[in-house]
Amino acid sequence: MASKQQQGSSITAQNQLVQWINEAGMSEGKKKAGLVRKIIEVLLHQVPQMVPVYMENILSYMSDKSPEVKKLVVGFIEELSKSHQNCLPKIITQLQLLVIDPTIAVQKRAMQAACLVYRNILLWIYKNTPDVSDMQYVWEQLAKLKLLILNLIDSENEGIRTFSIKFLEEMVILQSASPTKDADDMFCLDRLPTNLPFVKRKTMEEESEHVFKLLLKFHNSQHISSNNLMACMTTLCIIAKMRPKYLASVVQALGDLHTTLPPTLSQSQVNSVRKHLKMQLLILVKHPAAGDSMSQLTQLLLDIGMTPQEINKVLPKERRNKRLGEIKNGDTPAKRVRIDSPQSAPESDSNSNSRSDFNLFDEDSNQPILPVVITKATATEDTVFDGLNNVENVVNLVMSTLINNLPTHMPDSFMTEYKPIPNSGSAVQKRSLANMVLAVIKNEMPPPIPNVKIAPPMFGSEDKIPLLRDDEEKLTLKNAVAKLQESTKADKQMENAVSKLMEETRQEHLKEEERKTKDKEKLIPPPTPTVPKLKQKVKLLKLQELTRPIPKEIKEKLVLQAVDRILRAEKESIIGGATQIRAKFITIFASSYTPEIRELVLNYVLEDPLNRIDLALSWLYEEYAFMQGFNRHPVTLQPKLHEKHDENYNQLICALITQVAERGDPLMEASKDVLLRKIYLEAPVVTDEAVEYLKHLVTEDKSALLAMEMLEELCIMRPPRSHKYVAALVCHVLSENEEIRELALKTSIKIYKRSTEATRKVIEKHALLYLGFISLSTPPQELFGNRPMNRIWTDDLFKLCLNLVMLLFPEKEEIIIEIARVYGCADAEAKRCVLRQLEGPIKAALNQPLPTSEDTDPKPGELRPAFEALLDECPRGAETLLTKFVHILTEKAPPSPELVSKVRELYATRISDVRFLVPVLNGLSKKEIFAALPKLIKLNPPVVKEVFNKLLGLQGHDEQCPVTPEELLVALHLIDPNKADLKYIIKATALCFSFKHIYTQDVLSGVLQRLAEETEIPVLMMRTVLQALTLYPALGALALNILQLLIEREVWSNKVAWEGWVKCSERLGPAAVPALAELPVRVCAMLPPHLSALCPQVTALSYVLEA
Amino acid sequence: MDDLYIAVVCSSNMNRSMEAHAFLAKKGFKVKSYGTGEKVKLPGASADRPNCYEFGVPYDDIYNDLLEKDKAYYTQNGLLHMLDRNRRIKPCPEKFQVTSERFDVIITCEERVYDQVIEWFGSKRSVYNQPVHVINIDIQDNHEEATIGAFFISDMVTKMAQSEDLDNDIDELLHDFESKCHRAVLNCIMFY
Repeated sequence: MASKQQQGSSITAQNQLVQWINEAGMSEGKKKAGLVRKIIEVLLHQVPQMVPVYMENILSYMSDKSPEVKKLVVGFIEELSKSHQNCLPKIITQLQLLVIDPTIAVQKRAMQAACLVYRNILLWIYKNTPDVSDMQYVWEQLAKLKLLILNLIDSENEGIRTFSIKFLEEMVILQSASPTKDADDMFCLDRLPTNLPFVKRKTMEEESEHVFKLLLKFHNSQHISSNNLMACMTTLCIIAKMRPKYLASVVQALGDLHTTLPPTLSQSQVNSVRKHLKMQLLILVKHPAAGDSMSQLTQLLLDIGMTPQEINKVLPKERRNKRLGEIKNGDTPAKRVRIDSPQSAPESDSNSNSRSDFNLFDEDSNQPILPVVITKATATEDTVFDGLNNVENVVNLVMSTLINNLPTHMPDSFMTEYKPIPNSGSAVQKRSLANMVLAVIKNEMPPPIPNVKIAPPMFGSEDKIPLLRDDEEKLTLKNAVAKLQESTKADKQMENAVSKLMEETRQEHLKEEERKTKDKEKLIPPPTPTVPKLKQKVKLLKLQELTRPIPKEIKEKLVLQAVDRILRAEKESIIGGATQIRAKFITIFASSYTPEIRELVLNYVLEDPLNRIDLALSWLYEEYAFMQGFNRHPVTLQPKLHEKHDENYNQLICALITQVAERGDPLMEASKDVLLRKIYLEAPVVTDEAVEYLKHLVTEDKSALLAMEMLEELCIMRPPRSHKYVAALVCHVLSENEEIRELALKTSIKIYKRSTEATRKVIEKHALLYLGFISLSTPPQELFGNRPMNRIWTDDLFKLCLNLVMLLFPEKEEIIIEIARVYGCADAEAKRCVLRQLEGPIKAALNQPLPTSEDTDPKPGELRPAFEALLDECPRGAETLLTKFVHILTEKAPPSPELVSKVRELYATRISDVRFLVPVLNGLSKKEIFAALPKLIKLNPPVVKEVFNKLLGLQGHDEQCPVTPEELLVALHLIDPNKADLKYIIKATALCFSFKHIYTQDVLSGVLQRLAEETEIPVLMMRTVLQALTLYPALGALALNILQLLIEREVWSNKVAWEGWVKCSERLGPAAVPALAELPVRVCAMLPPHLSALCPQVTALSYVLEA
Repeated sequence: MDDLYIAVVCSSNMNRSMEAHAFLAKKGFKVKSYGTGEKVKLPGASADRPNCYEFGVPYDDIYNDLLEKDKAYYTQNGLLHMLDRNRRIKPCPEKFQVTSERFDVIITCEERVYDQVIEWFGSKRSVYNQPVHVINIDIQDNHEEATIGAFFISDMVTKMAQSEDLDNDIDELLHDFESKCHRAVLNCIMFY
């Protein structure tokens, strides 16, 4: 029943099949593919017994147009080879056709299937069941298939090459003996039946070895693509794992790969390849078969950059430590000199992975040492190795290498990449070195691959694959391709070197010669056109590989020319309305690229500065934006980091200014001031150097006034930075040129009045600095500029130092304290000068309202804060200044009580000179005045006169004098003669008498009366009486009165007074009789005779006596 | 080239690979996603105590587990949202090393993952000789980077799908991709 059912279903399936086959015949494309897929499914899995029947139908689809259908057929063949092996003779030829199908996808699918088919064929043969003739047929066809696929390794298509590699891997493994007799490893040479005449193990094995070598060669070839390379690496590693006899060669090949990667790889491909290499090595290391080559493998891993710890981690436990220990003992292959790894090649660009970078030992250096024993033809690794054991040889080799090949500068890459050779001197290292030397001698052929030409005799006769001749051809072709690429590579390298040198030249301004040689080198024609000729042997053309970057020098030249054209297109741009864009372009070019472009644009601007000044200014702004980091250009347009933008800006503005100011052509001369003014006033920032230049311009006769004006404008119109500019202006107040000096002074003050605190500070600082000069023993050099001069102070020099500060004084009165301080330290000459200079300003200041509070009128006599501070401070040595100062203060107005109290205080504590009191005398109390009187009268007569003028209120101020004239005169008389010499007092009283309009008769009579009342008769009283009498005879009565009064006081006992009394009496003459009459008689004897004659009592007595 | 079969692989088959999986699936690609790690690791309450699950534990279960542990926290850090998205795409995280699928392209999101994939291929003998391109794009393991990474992957896969002959074009394609995205890419070819 069950079988019946089965039969039934198979019949329906068959019917279905037939229907589908018919449908498929009439349909196209996807639908057909779908149908074919179904047909194959059903046929293989539901009615496998019908395969022989329908097989042909399906195989016929391989001529279909659709690749989909063809691929399905391939899949079908693959399946048949497994499950219906008796069909093999039929399908093998079909597969051959599919492998060379024009559609790449089909080709690849067929190659993929070929691997499986190959395996299945072997299985089929192992079973040893089929018909021998069938077997032989299949075997022969298989050989053809193998050859087909082998040749495809040179396909243009990368994918096909990959599949070919994979198939070759299969071949190598299937056709070689397995070391283990594992049941899993069912495909190996050992299991091939020996009884078949056409299956020759030896041939198979040789073929396998040959293919392996081919793979090695392919793996190490120059032009291999990264994907092929990685596939090939994987393949080699699989082979090494499966067939340990190849392990050593594989490790060798991987090592070679590590040192010399194909030059065509891009950086990221290099990364991928290196990564892959590492992964594959790690897989190999872990494999049990790796034991024999472990030391090489670990060394390679070390070379790749893994640490011993990392490697140890990966190693199977039982192999750890021991192996690494061996490495340390030097029992390892040489650490490859890494000079030729990508980044370390001394002269190669960092992107190049070229094998021919390995040029440290070039033939020149080899010739003198080795040719004695070794010629190119005879050299083998052993001979070189022997040579390396000879110390002299090695020394010569090293010496000549150093002499001929050592670059003058250590390349940066070398610094970073170089690692010391760990096991130098060991046999292994020498061996590896020998290997490398040999490679150099033999024109850099990869050393481990023996010449393939040796192979032919080893192969059998008729039944071997006729692969050799083709292979030979192929190899020569490959060589040709490789050489071709080598030559392009050499050119490339040369160019790299050129551009690198260029870079250096540009930066360091190297000598012209180098430039020339480079130019020559540059003439080498681009090698690209030769590549496409051998198109069939080269991979698909890729733009990346065909084109090279334009050398830097040419690029720069082109840019320069382009900019030049833009510059010359001034008119056109105006016509086209693109002026602004053009200006923008020019500024960006000028600011963002090379110095050459800067120069070009600068020259352009200077050709016609009047019209192009705006361009220059916008360029300045561009530079300024860079300097401040406002740059808004894309990354590519940003200038190099190492360029200093602030310098660029500064250089530009300075270049513009100096060129405009100094070029001196008539056109420029005429518009110089306009241009300079524009640059200075409109530039985003005026740098220190630019200001310095302006300062310098002041010293030039032609442009001095212009420069001064501009400095002034700068200060006033660019207030935020005016404190930076003003210094350049202020310093000219010391100029020897009077005109400039005056202008500088005027302008400084003008700016001082208008500008900010910072600017004021600068001006003040300068003023004080110059003021400070006067306290020096010799005038400083600043005062003379560059003039050679006797450095001796003169009044003019003092004035020079003082002029700024004096002008500043009205603006800032506080500065007087500083002046006083310096004054204190200065010499007498300087002091004198200061006093003279200061007088005017102070006087002027007194007439001005207070600068701080302009709205309030100055109250007369109110002390200004600055002056008050000065009085409070009273710097040491400035007493005379203060005296003068107080004097000036009181000249016009009576001293305020405030001032008086200050002066009084100072007089008491600091300044003992009585002259200091003079100006404020009238403010003092009577007592104080009288106390000071003895000192006052000792002063110079003019001063004394002034004092009296003041005290007597003769100065014109309607001030209240603290002492009346009467009191004053009395006080004079009462001065203790010990305190002041009598003659001073006499002079003083005489002075009083000279003021007749004050010392009137009344006043004098008062004085005389007061004097008379004194208990002690003042020394000068009688003298005064006499003088008064001389002036005012009408005072006779009063005099008489006094005389009489004195008699009461026994005037005769005082000699001086008595003399005066007598003189007075004489003067009075007869009028004195009443007084004389009162004299006691005995006193009358002391009278001179003519007086005594007048005495009535004497006369009476004499009369009595006579009588 | 007919339909590419794509695998996106990250460490835990949770964030980066799933983001890309979702993205590529939406664009109609034939895509699967995997993780190569030992376990599915998700950030936990503290850095030293991650949440670990076996591959094969459904996203749904993980979701509920986390929901129970600390709903607020895992909502706030986005894990629940991510798991919710994942369970709509496929039932559970899958381990790359155990799959028997054969892909045309495997995209890994981290160099370590790439290494593991290569190692896995190295550990077994190729049977079908079917090539597969393994490509690594480094993507940081966070939401934002995963999204950006998914964009990049989608971009790249789109280009691959447009290629007539991927084996031949892949070099150029990746080179273009690198220069466009400024991301380093590793790639190699492996065989099933």
